[in-house]
Amino acid sequence: MSSAVARLLDSRVLLVTGKGGTGKTTFSAALAVVAAARGRRVILCEVDSQRPSTEAIFQAAAPYEPAKVLPNLHLCNVHWDGALLTYLQRMIPSRRVVALILESAAIRRFLNALPGAREIVILSRIEHLAQDFDLVVVDMPASGHAFSLLDVTRSAMSLFRSGPVKQRATELIDGLILHKETRVVFVALPEDMVVNETIETFQRMKRFDLLGADPLVFLNRATLPTLADAERELLAKLAGEPLEGSAREFVRAGLWEDRLEQATSEALQQLGDALPEPPVLVPPTGAGGNPRAVVAGIAAYLGRQLGLTRRDLPWT
Amino acid sequence: MDLNAWMDEAGLVVCVGSGGVGKTTTAATLGLWAALRGRRVMVLTIDPAKRLANSLGLERFGNSETRIDLAGLPETQGELWAMMLDSRSTWDSLIARVAPTDAVRERILHNRVFRVMADTFAGSQEYMATEKLYDLVSSGSYDLVVLDTPPVKNALDFLESPGRLISFLDEKILGWFLSPYDRATVFGSLMGGASTVFFRLLGTLFGSDFVDDLTELMRDFKELYEGFRTRHTETLRLFRATTTHFVTVCAPTESSVEVAEFFQAELRNRELQRTAVIVNQVHSCQAAEDDAAAVLGPHVAAVGGVDTSVTARLLARLSMAHRRLRDLAAAERILIDRAGRAATGVRFFCEIPRLDDDVCDLQGLHEVGRALFPSS
Repeated sequence: MSSAVARLLDSRVLLVTGKGGTGKTTFSAALAVVAAARGRRVILCEVDSQRPSTEAIFQAAAPYEPAKVLPNLHLCNVHWDGALLTYLQRMIPSRRVVALILESAAIRRFLNALPGAREIVILSRIEHLAQDFDLVVVDMPASGHAFSLLDVTRSAMSLFRSGPVKQRATELIDGLILHKETRVVFVALPEDMVVNETIETFQRMKRFDLLGADPLVFLNRATLPTLADAERELLAKLAGEPLEGSAREFVRAGLWEDRLEQATSEALQQLGDALPEPPVLVPPTGAGGNPRAVVAGIAAYLGRQLGLTRRDLPWT
Repeated sequence: MDLNAWMDEAGLVVCVGSGGVGKTTTAATLGLWAALRGRRVMVLTIDPAKRLANSLGLERFGNSETRIDLAGLPETQGELWAMMLDSRSTWDSLIARVAPTDAVRERILHNRVFRVMADTFAGSQEYMATEKLYDLVSSGSYDLVVLDTPPVKNALDFLESPGRLISFLDEKILGWFLSPYDRATVFGSLMGGASTVFFRLLGTLFGSDFVDDLTELMRDFKELYEGFRTRHTETLRLFRATTTHFVTVCAPTESSVEVAEFFQAELRNRELQRTAVIVNQVHSCQAAEDDAAAVLGPHVAAVGGVDTSVTARLLARLSMAHRRLRDLAAAERILIDRAGRAATGVRFFCEIPRLDDDVCDLQGLHEVGRALFPSS
């Protein structure tokens, strides 16, 4: 496992996605923190977020321009307006024309609505960041939207049959999306729906040729079964007894945990079968609701696998 | 007014909330309950869990109204219908309906720009949900429509800006694709200057082929524009009606409660009726202490014939599991209280316990309903 994570953190770009609620943001942050602790210059970015969740974790604003929050770690929000300005400035030499375009709210909305344009502009910004930093960790939108972000760039190619935007789209496909050091990271939970969506999204990406390297799945809140068969049998017998109150509750608690563990085992099996690399299991950190504590817990766990100590990581 | 009475009167219920909290299940439960109370209900979902879809017969039917067989449930005069929103075919059928001639319809449906827009997953889904909604409600076929929105923070955006396609049709932009005569009369010289620059720029950036495709689409769309605008205005009026209710669903997790708080603010800002906040998947733990041996010892003895070391290990394990469950329930209580504070001013604040089995069929939905609605 440690080599899989080490290899992951040696990449150039990580696109972290997953079904909503699985922990994408916390994992993006944890991966960024660990990579920074290992000495790489890292930038963690959200994609066009109205309320960047990374702000609660780092207790710092995530502006459009990279802001340093920890040694080796910067933060930013790839906000549409900022990305459009960056893009236009690189494409159009005349400042006057760029200003004229951006002055009009109608034009900005139009460009945002243009199929492929928004995606190209955002990915373009990400690719620029990859030139300035060793590692870009992108907290992508949830699975389906992440797929679109990557795929529309390709389908837009059928629209723009010539011109610099098409050329830029081609550069982004070869230089970012299909680059062998760009890796898609899925964050999953040991739940049927989540596992299915993870596998489906992976298969869609493969079918539409959007993966340059093998993706990696982190199975979050994973706990493998620990009950021996004899113990499980006894538990089942107790569950069949007419128990009341506290007694019933203890049995319920046992069944609840056993079910969670079985779910991890099933998820591990299904994901292992469907994806080229086996998932990395990450146990619950028991850190409660505090976003920073949760990130610190995951970072500590991953860091330990890579030989890092508490001293090497922040917030300990 | 209690929940049951509310279910008897509501015309449109919109469920919002983050992903993974059982929002679709909750929407389906509300629909089922109203149907069991005798109403004719349609549940419109975007992305139902495959198993839930299968048990409701949704996966095979996609974008068409499907009646759900309520066999095995209490008898009722009511009906439950469901539909999964498939944005691509909705766009195509919408154009087919609104286009003034076959020629216009065909040109639009085959236009490259239109095809990419219609096929784009992100952005058009939310808009298409409202389009379909408008159809269903104005048809008068249903007493109640329950809409399950996509689990995104901008789920309410369709209420303000009419989606990416309509942004496209902003009058100013549309004007730049009309004939020079129209441009001169409709827009002043200042606008005229900017539009020429913009037009040339589009060609330089995206290629002339694209501008041609786009121009053709704009020209054809001009005729549909008014129709879209009117529908959109009507849809907004529907959302502000007193029979339209917004229900926020969350789970006792930090991220979903934060999203729930966000939606309360959004709904207040847009002056939409915040009727309910539902906290789903709540774990409970009554007992105060964690000694499984003390509580279960006698019962294990009753079961009999088990190795003492197996018993000891299991009891130790149950003690730990119980402790963890109790800690979880306590942590969730804090988040539930926080959700409660966000729900100030909301008519109903409810909790639904985490059920032992995953909800994957009508019986499961019925059980959720029994946990949510007071027995009448």
